[in-house]
Amino acid sequence: MSMSQTVARLIALAVLVGTGAVAAQTAPSQVIGQRQDAMKGLGGAMKTLTPMVRGEQPWNQAEAVKAATTINNVSKAIPQVFPPGSGPESGVKTGALPIIWQQTADYQLKAKALEEASGVLLGLAQAGNSDGVKNQFGNVGKACGGCHEVYRAK
Amino acid sequence: MRRIAAIFARTGHLGRRGEGLATHRRRPIRVRGLARLLTGFLVAAFISNPLGAQVGDVPPGDHGAVRRGEYLFSAAGCAGCHTDIKNRGPVGAGGRELKTPFGVFYGPNITSDPDHGIGRWSDADFIRALRHGVSPRGAHYYPVFPFTSFTKISDDDMRDLKAFLFSLPPSPTPNRAHDIRFPFNFRFAQYFWKLLFFDRGAFVDDAGRPAAVNRGAYLVTALGHCGECHTPRNLMGASDRGLAFAGTRNGPEGSNVPNITPDPETGIGRWSTGDLAELLKSGMTPDGDFVGGSMAEVVRETTSKLSENDRKAMVAYLRALPPIQNDLRGKSSPP
Repeated sequence: MSMSQTVARLIALAVLVGTGAVAAQTAPSQVIGQRQDAMKGLGGAMKTLTPMVRGEQPWNQAEAVKAATTINNVSKAIPQVFPPGSGPESGVKTGALPIIWQQTADYQLKAKALEEASGVLLGLAQAGNSDGVKNQFGNVGKACGGCHEVYRAK
Repeated sequence: MRRIAAIFARTGHLGRRGEGLATHRRRPIRVRGLARLLTGFLVAAFISNPLGAQVGDVPPGDHGAVRRGEYLFSAAGCAGCHTDIKNRGPVGAGGRELKTPFGVFYGPNITSDPDHGIGRWSDADFIRALRHGVSPRGAHYYPVFPFTSFTKISDDDMRDLKAFLFSLPPSPTPNRAHDIRFPFNFRFAQYFWKLLFFDRGAFVDDAGRPAAVNRGAYLVTALGHCGECHTPRNLMGASDRGLAFAGTRNGPEGSNVPNITPDPETGIGRWSTGDLAELLKSGMTPDGDFVGGSMAEVVRETTSKLSENDRKAMVAYLRALPPIQNDLRGKSSPP
């Protein structure tokens, strides 16, 4: 699957979960697969931004906006792709920890933190503010790590 | 007079010294008689020297020492056990629980509170605790307190670390007793454990390698105590030196801890220097993922707070390690 296909699928996923269609109708294995794709897409977008943020590659606004859009879309989808029953108890291999469903409010707060941080990132990328993106990138990373620290197995 | 005070303090007559870390109380018998004889001097000694401070202690308010100590507190990851981060507890006041195959340990209070913390400790007490793994009362610590790594910290760094701890607001938080399984609850057995597995002594630079690698070795093996998780343990809970930094499936709280030797297949051999420095700085892996679990905490509390040069030194040391093939995949979980 090419990068643009991945992005297209992620956007489609974000739209679907926005209407609650995915979580309500899919089996655990499906929703776990979808969220793993979504997380991989999110990682891929972070990877695209990294050399620009480090100054190893020149600023490319189109690429930066595309990556920031993916991150922001996935962040909006996160609360929906962890429906109850899609944890390790489903028998499907997943790094999602059961504590997600024990403290859902905090979990959603952390997802919201990523949505906000990536929203700022997207705004900065759209405005062509490369220095701003460099600074904000770290905050997005902190939101990723802050959630993984508590809710993911590694 | 100060020496007398110190002797009294060690025998416990000046208060509950060592309460902070020890539960097994042992009073050196040969000193007990002496202590009784000198009871008359006790009051005077206490007044002149209430907290048992000794010659050579860092004077309170040495800002240079406190600042360096704060950096060392981060570099040594002290908050990991001694601060209840999850519940936003006071820095150094303890409370964090650590589940191990030997039982559950609770990080003790290391603020300067005289009754519940280490407020009565001299610099020499503090150095002995880190270098020898022994409390001021002579109790042997369990290796869950990584004295096996901290023994390598220099005397100067230990003094600075203590100066920082003593600059923190003293917290009256009482310590919680460890919940240790039989037969590991017999603390004296630690003496034999140390005979078998503990190499005591400060870190010494290896003249045959670059300064950055030496600095990195100090950060990784003495302060950072990375091997406490990244090196597998034997049945007695001691590090398996033949597999240093090669990772384990039986890490803390049953986690899978990766191989960080430069093996290209199973370790970090294919990571660039930039990749490794980035992981230590932000927690990001080369595929744009962010580490979770205890390593996320290590990044937040320790490696992200280090200087760029110190992170590079750690990377230089890791890349200079002998590569060990140790495949831990198969049992790990995808996101």
